[in-house]
Amino acid sequence: MALPKIVSGFTVLPVAYPHSRHIIYAKAHASSSKSSKSTFPADRTLFLVNVPVDATERELSLFFRYAGTVERVIFDQNDLDDTELQGDASGSGSGSEDEDSDAPDSSMEVDTEENAETRPRKNRKDKKRDEPAPPTVVPLPTSPHRTLRKTGAVAHLVFLDSSSLSKALTPLPKARSWPSSEELRGLARYRALYDEQRPPLDIVKAHADTAMELYEFELAKSRRQSAYRKGEAIVDEDGFTLVTRGGAYGKTLGGGVGVANKQFQATGKTGSKKKKESKEKASFYAFQKAEKQRKAIMDLKKNFEADKARIEKLKQSRRFKPY
Amino acid sequence: MEDGEPENSGGGEEDSMDGVELTPGDPGASSHHASKPPTGEELRMIKDAVNLYQSSSFKLQIDALLPNVRPSTKDSRKAPLERFLHSLRSHLISMRAVEPQNPVSAARALAKQGIAVPFALPHPTEEVKWKVGFEPPSDINVVGSWANQICVKRKDGVPFTVDVTIEMPDSLFQEKDYLDSRYFHKRSFYLAVVAQSLSTSLEVDTFYQSTLGDPRLTVLVLSPRKGSQNDFSKAHAKIHVIPVISSSNPMPLSRLSPSHANVRLPGKSSAGPQPTPIYNTNVLLATYPKLSLLATNALKHLCPAFSDAYALLRVWANQRGYGEGPICVRGFEGKGCWWNEVLGLVVFGEESTSANKANVRKPLGKGLSSYQLFRAALDVLARQDFSQKAVHVKSTNGHKFPPDEYTSHHSAVFVDSTSTLNLLADVPSTSLSMLRYDANETLEKLNTSSESDNIFAQLFLNDQTQLSKRCDAVIRVDLARASKKQSAYEFVEYGSSDNALLAAISKTLQRGLGDRVQAIGIFHPSSKMRSITDAHNPLLSTIYIGLTYNSENAFRLVDHGPPADGQDSEAGRLFRQLWGDKAELRRFKDGRIVESVVWEVKTSDDRAHIPVAIVRHLLRHHFGIPANDVRSPQNYFDAKLRLPDEVSSIFQASGSSSGFKSALAAFDGLVKRLKSLGDQIPLALSSVSPTSEYLRYASALGPVPIPQSAYLALPDSYRYLPTIDVNLEFEKSTKWPDDIRAVQKAKLALLEAIATALLSANKITRASVCTADCSGSTIQQHGPSLEIYTTEGWAFSVRIWYDREATLLERLSSSVRTPARPLAPSEANPREQREAQQALETYTRQFIHAPRHHRAVANLAHRFTAYVGTVRLVKRWLAAHWLLTTHVSAEAVEIISARPFLGSGAVLPDDASSIPRSKERGFAQVLEFLRDWKPEEPIFVPIYEDSAPSSEPTVAAVSSKQGVWTISTSEDNSGRMWTSSGPDAIAARRLRAIAKEACKILHSTDIDSLDVERLFSHATEDYDVLIELDPMILPRYHQSINAESSALSKDRTIPQEDDATPRPGFDPAWLLFQDLQVTYSDTLKFFYDVYGGRYIGAIWLPIVSGIRPFRVMGGFSSTPEQKPNEKNKGTVVLNKQAVLDEIERLGAGFIKKVEARERS
Repeated sequence: MALPKIVSGFTVLPVAYPHSRHIIYAKAHASSSKSSKSTFPADRTLFLVNVPVDATERELSLFFRYAGTVERVIFDQNDLDDTELQGDASGSGSGSEDEDSDAPDSSMEVDTEENAETRPRKNRKDKKRDEPAPPTVVPLPTSPHRTLRKTGAVAHLVFLDSSSLSKALTPLPKARSWPSSEELRGLARYRALYDEQRPPLDIVKAHADTAMELYEFELAKSRRQSAYRKGEAIVDEDGFTLVTRGGAYGKTLGGGVGVANKQFQATGKTGSKKKKESKEKASFYAFQKAEKQRKAIMDLKKNFEADKARIEKLKQSRRFKPY
Repeated sequence: MEDGEPENSGGGEEDSMDGVELTPGDPGASSHHASKPPTGEELRMIKDAVNLYQSSSFKLQIDALLPNVRPSTKDSRKAPLERFLHSLRSHLISMRAVEPQNPVSAARALAKQGIAVPFALPHPTEEVKWKVGFEPPSDINVVGSWANQICVKRKDGVPFTVDVTIEMPDSLFQEKDYLDSRYFHKRSFYLAVVAQSLSTSLEVDTFYQSTLGDPRLTVLVLSPRKGSQNDFSKAHAKIHVIPVISSSNPMPLSRLSPSHANVRLPGKSSAGPQPTPIYNTNVLLATYPKLSLLATNALKHLCPAFSDAYALLRVWANQRGYGEGPICVRGFEGKGCWWNEVLGLVVFGEESTSANKANVRKPLGKGLSSYQLFRAALDVLARQDFSQKAVHVKSTNGHKFPPDEYTSHHSAVFVDSTSTLNLLADVPSTSLSMLRYDANETLEKLNTSSESDNIFAQLFLNDQTQLSKRCDAVIRVDLARASKKQSAYEFVEYGSSDNALLAAISKTLQRGLGDRVQAIGIFHPSSKMRSITDAHNPLLSTIYIGLTYNSENAFRLVDHGPPADGQDSEAGRLFRQLWGDKAELRRFKDGRIVESVVWEVKTSDDRAHIPVAIVRHLLRHHFGIPANDVRSPQNYFDAKLRLPDEVSSIFQASGSSSGFKSALAAFDGLVKRLKSLGDQIPLALSSVSPTSEYLRYASALGPVPIPQSAYLALPDSYRYLPTIDVNLEFEKSTKWPDDIRAVQKAKLALLEAIATALLSANKITRASVCTADCSGSTIQQHGPSLEIYTTEGWAFSVRIWYDREATLLERLSSSVRTPARPLAPSEANPREQREAQQALETYTRQFIHAPRHHRAVANLAHRFTAYVGTVRLVKRWLAAHWLLTTHVSAEAVEIISARPFLGSGAVLPDDASSIPRSKERGFAQVLEFLRDWKPEEPIFVPIYEDSAPSSEPTVAAVSSKQGVWTISTSEDNSGRMWTSSGPDAIAARRLRAIAKEACKILHSTDIDSLDVERLFSHATEDYDVLIELDPMILPRYHQSINAESSALSKDRTIPQEDDATPRPGFDPAWLLFQDLQVTYSDTLKFFYDVYGGRYIGAIWLPIVSGIRPFRVMGGFSSTPEQKPNEKNKGTVVLNKQAVLDEIERLGAGFIKKVEARERS
């Protein structure tokens, strides 16, 4: 069957599989978002839909080699975080941390500052722009292996050269076969993964120790940066004292002001005081008694009717034929 | 009305007695508006319903049931029958007499016309002096339940029975006819003449039918012929013609008491003739129908609720096989009148005898409601052991025969209200024990259950005859090769060789099994109609023996007999006679020397087989039935829970002992070692809690350790080494960091310390920290674990429980930022929240619920011997159908399997009779539950001690992707802990369908090896995609339910280069399955047998079928496709083959083939 060249604005790129033809849909990347500008240069970025589930960066590069050299491949937004964080954790130290890819690049600096202010105790090991230099974490061994993604996933492909983009978007005369990179797949991958997850104990030790060091370092740093100091209550410009839960009565950060308990926060009710039972007698007057009796009888009848209706329904479904 | 013959006579054909309308009014008639206050009448009725019945809905259900089990009262249906009865009567009266002649020559004459005479034993000979003849009946009556209008519909659409007695004139009989079956011969001839005449002149089909195969009880069955002028098929009835004799017959009554010997056999030994109580009873039956009719009629008028109670009792009994059908409890065929008499006993009480003067059963009175009467009758059946204590229903004119005669000559005594005969004369006491057991079980249910709908259905609506769920052991006995060496006396007494044999089997089994069982049931099909050209019933080919164990004694290893002192004492002789060569003299520890039988037990499986082994031994010893003809499915089920012999022998070669006990011992060893580490680890260990099914006897296959040396020598298909999960808890410490990620790192450090310490102590082969996804910064689902590989070959996976983790995760996952919490992590992004949420769920399951669940299940395993077996069978079965773990979690199975043991509402007492005592029965009950359970109904299972449900579990709205089961326990009120991820609607529906099929297989009474295999064989036709894996690579392939031995050969064909170290818990098929499930969660649904299945099956999800518009986030692999006549270009269709190609790539190295199938 002849393939359409374009579907909904996407160029159809057939990929030859052993018994079939996989389709990758490609389109020039166009984003309104300011943030992605730097990551995805508009004139060089190809937006791909339905990349093979086990595609690696290398494989995609090989596949698009006919169009030009691929600078990098970003599989999806979340992966962006991952790759950068990973680089971070392994001590490269240079990666700028961008937790929230929606956050504008320019406001990054400010953002981290703010974070540090509002979050004195919740520390993240990746805040380490400031001196002194943070301790390096010994990485756990990783070999490059395939990450499987959900089927039908998208990817951004950044070419080195903007001319490649149009080349990539011209429909292929015939399906290109899917290249294969040296990352392990299948059984070999599972074996490698298994072994890799059980690193030698000394590496585990080194990793854990250094990671803890880094944590301590971050903790210390944030303490320094934090506006909170032990023993000093924090009063903002409007004169409110900041408090947090903890201790027997809750505490200010430093001070000694009580704070509402969790239940109060959740429900707005104080749990400690039991609601007083109303002492009023329910059957004091004769009419109350009579009404109560009447109600009991009515309930009896109501339940009975309800039962009857239910049985009637069961009867309809011929349930009462024992055999 | 399955009362074949004995019910009674009286009213004549036009019985005009109307059934007393006694249901207290139709409740529907009087209620008009729910809003109006009820009238006094209504109120009384409602109150009655509540007070006199189990509950008002129970009463309404009874009212709904009863019309369905009674014959139609429409005239159009009855009239043809009435007409036919008239013509039958006139025909019979006008029949010509036959001259008296020698019975043999008379039979010969009839045989020429194609009519057989069903002579009883001993057959008449040419030489006899007495003659048989025929004269028209002196009286013809409609008797029995039809005449009394109390008849109850029978199972399987069998028509109602109209009993018609024809009274043989006294002139045909002589005083001595009670001797040597002469009366029966005359009766048979009479019947044959009537059969001959009716078959030729009336347009009806005529058959013989002999209750219990006893020729003495043969009746003539007339069933309507369609379209003939006598077609009374509208009445849905058949007519039983029963020859009877008048009360003025010449045979002296006194000669028919139980103690008289009325058969003289040639060449009888010196002992003199033996009494023939059953023979005598059968003679007495000839006068009984009329008496019974009158007595029942009186009872019916006296006690308004009688006929309803009778109907309930009969429906209850029919549903349990006390009557007629393909699988019936022996002895209750044709005992219709007995059930009346049971109610009569309730109403009238007992006649006093010399033996029971002190505690005669008191009459309960006639004003009871039908339900109360029914319940009282059940109470009689449950408490009264008729074989121990004779019962004489209160009669108007005292005893006809001395009561002692009954007790000394009958095995069970229940003398009817006319004091004519013992209705239980030919009912074996094993069958009575079965009845007692069933009545007990029903009473228990009535006492404990809270859901009245459910209980009503169980009592009356559901078929309970399925042996596999009713008896702990079901044994199929082929009688073809049984030696019928009973004496001629026994043949004559019991009426047929089958009856004599079964009576002997029943007695022998009861003696041999004794207190090991609560009940023994002998089941076989009830007698069928046969052509009037056949004199005798075909012989029984097969019977089923059902045993219900007594859990305390069933598996006893030694049966003690009488002491040795009198070698030739009577008791010792009887003991040796019973057990044959198995009996031996033994000296026991306490110094006694007694006769005893010791049952050899090699494995724990064998122990569960002891009762069946006893049956097998006894049947072989006494009846020459070869062991092969006595079959029970136990062995087949056992084999499902064991590795095949050739596999286990390979593991045994490694020298480590396998099984749950060894696993527990290894665990204890580990705990000791961990505790002994002391100062070598930074925090003190406070507790070690196991959470693995291997440590609670609950995994389908027992765990097998593989020491390192053996591991390396094994081929890939043997290399699965299960890891046993264990949680560690440490003392509280302030040193823990206050950040979830840092906590994970701290755990790593702690685990590493433990590993190093353990290794230095040098007791284990290997310890490695499993860091699964520790390197990233994502919040981990499971956290790091420590894998410990002991020298014996056990692998443990140890995790650390840190209780503040929950708080940390909660803090991360909750997004609410209340004014009171300005310090909430403001930058938490949705992904982090989601991860924290998931991690929190995993944490709760892994550290809070799993240990509790483990303790509860381990506790149940100790309380109920059959529980773990049941769990294991259910697991194996679910796995064989590709659902276990992949869709149904092991814990959910453990909870569901506890249901038959614990009941649903009020907790059953531990000795409740309905609790299964064998895994096969538990399995059958779980299957039935799974078949009937609608997933939208939440269930509660009290697996945690005795707490009742605190609140009704409610069903949370679930999306199609989530699990649909709600199984709540007192620790998990929402009931989603183990079922939140599955089974989803598709899997649950599949499971029900498979359970239904399995129940059918179990129910098909032929219990054959093949059938049990069929239970576990999975049909793959339903899958759209089958992914074939290479069995040589699968480490669990040796556990597969149908492993091919070629793939299990020990020779290694493909040497692996990277197999230097053992990989505990490594199962690439499972990893692949998980990957596939995640990757294609919206495209395909996968199914897999975790026990080394060779195939992964999958079905395309309907949400990706057809042509759909192209979307960027479509979530499936597509290819452009246009609808033929549409111009819209942006449409795509699922690219199936490309998906399959990708799957093949993902499993490179061990996928052999991915096969797509077109389903019709």
